[in-house]
Parts: sequence; C-alpha cells; structure tokens
Amino acid sequence: MRREAAIVGIGQSEFSKRSPHSAWELAVQAVLAALLDAGLDASEVDGMCRFAPPFETVGEPMMVRGLGIGELAFFAESPLGGEALGAVVAHAVAAIATGQAKVVVVYRALKQSAGARFGRADQGPGGTAATGEHVLVPEDDNRSFAWPYGLLSPGQLFALWATRYLHVHGLREADLTRSLGTVAIQQRRYANENPAALMRDRVLDWETYTGARMISWPLRLFDLCLENDGACAFVLTSAERARSLRDDPVYVLSATQTLAPYREPMGLYTDDLLESFPPAAADRLYHGAGVSPKDISVAELYDATSFMTMKGLESYRFVPAGTGWKHLLDTGIGLDSPLPVNTHGGHLSEGYLHGMNGVTEAVRQLRGTARNQVRDAEVALVGAPSGSAMILGR
Amino acid sequence: MAILPVPGELTGPYWEHARRHELVVQHCAGCGAAWHPPLPRCPHCHSADLGWQPVSGRGTVYSYTIVQHATHRALAAEIPYVVAIVELAEGHRMVANIRGCAPEDVHIGQSVRVTFEDVTDEITIPQFTVER
Repeated sequence: MRREAAIVGIGQSEFSKRSPHSAWELAVQAVLAALLDAGLDASEVDGMCRFAPPFETVGEPMMVRGLGIGELAFFAESPLGGEALGAVVAHAVAAIATGQAKVVVVYRALKQSAGARFGRADQGPGGTAATGEHVLVPEDDNRSFAWPYGLLSPGQLFALWATRYLHVHGLREADLTRSLGTVAIQQRRYANENPAALMRDRVLDWETYTGARMISWPLRLFDLCLENDGACAFVLTSAERARSLRDDPVYVLSATQTLAPYREPMGLYTDDLLESFPPAAADRLYHGAGVSPKDISVAELYDATSFMTMKGLESYRFVPAGTGWKHLLDTGIGLDSPLPVNTHGGHLSEGYLHGMNGVTEAVRQLRGTARNQVRDAEVALVGAPSGSAMILGR
Repeated sequence: MAILPVPGELTGPYWEHARRHELVVQHCAGCGAAWHPPLPRCPHCHSADLGWQPVSGRGTVYSYTIVQHATHRALAAEIPYVVAIVELAEGHRMVANIRGCAPEDVHIGQSVRVTFEDVTDEITIPQFTVER
C-alpha cells in the first residue's frame, strides 16, 4: 500500500452548532471543495468510501445524483463509528491500487442538531423511542445489558476507561485532572488560532476547566467532544496521477482497520479495558508505513474525550503504557513539544467529524499550510482507538 | 419511566432466570466453557449445545463512573448514579449500578454481591450491592 495512492484534495463545510443546511448539502459542499482543491471535476469520480449507516446518513446514490457523477465503479462502507476512520482510507487505497477505481472520494457529514446526538440517547437513530410507560431496549449489540443501567453514551464508556486507568497506574485524582486538563486547554489554544474551529473565540483556562460541571466522573464538561453539524471530505488518486495534479500530494504510507473480540459495545467486555486496541495493530500500522513512532512529526488523535488523546499517546507507542499522563504534565502536546497533537483543536475544540477533520488537518500540516504549522512536518499519524489509523507522508 | 431490556431470542433465558432471582451465564455443554454476554454458539468449540449455569453472584468492582449528567430523559431523576463493570468471582464481567453506598464511596476492587430489582411484573434487573 505504501505510497501507491495520495490525497490530492481536501474540503470541509462550515462547522456549526446548528446548520441551516441538510447533511446532504453539507456533504456536497465538502466534496466540491475537495474536488476544487484537487483540480478534478466531479465527472472523474468513480469511487466512494464512507462511514456505514446509521452513522453516515448521506448515501452514495444521493451523492452520485447530487454531484452529477456518471457511475461509480467502486463504493464501500465501514461500520463502527470512529473505527471506520482508517478503514475508509484503506479501502480507497485498495481500490486504487487494484485498478477498481481511479478517483475516490471519502466524505462524512453530520447533522447532530437534527437528532442523532452522540451525547443524547433519546434522540435519533440508535435512540429508542419510549413505548408507552417505559423505554424498551432490544438485545442488539448487547445494548440491553447496558442501557437499563444508564450506560448509554460514549462519554460514559470513556469515563469507565479513565477510572480504570487511574486505578491501574496508581494516579492521584489530581494527576488525572491535570493531565486531561492539559489536553483540553492545549487543544483549545490550537482552536483559538484556527478560524474554522467552533471554539475559535472561546478561551479555556484552568479555572474554567476545573470549575465546569462533572458529566460522568472523572470526566468534566470540557473533557468531552463537541456535538455539531458539518462535513469533511478528501479525494484520493494514484501516486502517478497525484504528481500530475499538484506538487504537494500527501501519500498514504499505511492505513489499518482492526476488529478485536468483544467489540460490542465499544470494548466494554474486553479482557483489559485499557487495551483500547490490540498491540499488533500498531505494529501493522508502523510496519506498513516503514516508519517508527519517532519519525512522526505530528499526530491527530481521535478525541471523543480528552482521555482518548492521552491514551492515544500510549496506544500508538509515542510513550510507554501508563505514562501518557506524565508526558502531558512534563512535555505537553503544544507546538514546542516533540510531538504536537491535535493541532486543529480536535474534536474537543474544532468540531466533531468522526476523525475526518484529523485527516484534513494532517494533510494541511504536510503541505505546510496549517494554522498551527509544525515546522518541517514530514510524516503524520491520524489515529482512532481500536487500531483504526493511517500514516501519511510528503 | 424505566429503561427496560426486551428479552430476545438470545437473551430471553437470561432475563427469565433473573425474574426468578437467579444470576446465570451461558455455558457450553460440549466443552464446559462459559461466557457473558450470550452468543449463538460456543466461541471455543463452536458447539450449539448451550445452556445456562448459575454463578455465585459475588464479585468486585472492575471500573466505574459516577454519572452526573442525564443522557436520556428517563434518567433525569436518577442522577447522580454509579455505572460499574463488575467482575464476577467466576471471571465474567457485567454492567450494573452499585447499591448500598454513596456514589463517592464506590471504589475499584470493592466486594459486591448481586441483588434483584423487580421493575415490572415481567422484568427483573440484576444489580449489585456492596458487601458489608
């Protein structure tokens, strides 16, 4: 897979709390922006990769018709939410490398203001309507063993991980607060420099961070990601075509997807709750790319909560297991640190786009056009938990 | 308003046992393995000859969170509440709320035992309470 395909265009809609546009329109905006950036016409698109329903509501037929595309030769959907992030790229590269498609668009549109909020289980798909007196939960995905106990949202699950981390690694609660707060505040600082960020005008200081209400102990309000509307897209083509389109293509060095046992729901029954993805997954990622963690210039780590940024530092082997919190306190993730992380502000402060905005930010970093530019960025890692990740390079 | 499981093809027997105040896990008559949550076949020997075996109902808190923000209108009156992953003496993990102590007194490793809450005539929810 290494350097067989490249990202030649990126695009995004406005991120907002309540968009006047439909998810369909937002997806179209992002894809058109990505095609314009690539210098490609919609008529050249012959492949699409996307997140599977119920997460992505805008289907391929809507996009083909909406963009006036003749026909698609390849389309693939990846399930399980954030774990689709590496998969949609891996599928696109595979399609290009095997000649099944020449120009592949990847897109993700969210309209959380119209329902399907991840922080509300009583709205939208995945939510369960009250039938008469009670809320009835079907047995699918083991939800009926979780929802009746009031375990319904990703934030609560990540809180269970964070408590276990606190215990296993022997932290004082104040250490955890300080390290998670370091993530939230640094990502906010990045967002304050990013005009596209939802929280661009909102400063976050320690007093505001620690004073915010507890959502699901030990996670506070600003430890959790935003809920918003918006869309991101990018376009991939072969390395050869990429070089003819632009002088700064961003090559896919590797992309992985991983499914470990007891995935449903969200790793709750995994033997070691803190093993958010199997160690072999990181090996595959680095081996595929031919690089090691020390070669990574910048990382965009999937941050449904601040805990995931911290855990991602360990999962992707930037620091030894159990030391992510210490690394945050001693070194941090700012532009002056050896590994700047979530330089767009991430899900906590730019916007929540299921990791897709981490890809577009990584591309900007490697082109040298990011708002919070890491000097001489050569190689970027974009990673969700559970071994769904990619390594991109100039 | 309560949030209730709908017993299905796979989970029906579990909830039926719970209604009789028995905590069970699925087990394989072929190789003797046991697991939770339930599956259509034994994941070890792939036998379809499965049954349900009682477990001790004793365990420890593996992890927990104190939920202080209701993510469903049905939970507005419940907060704050503790969601825990309980590790049974037999090794299986189950989600439960922790009864019998203040949320801030829950801790990992705490000994707990099963207790049954009859929510409706049909549905009983296994919960865990701290050992005194």
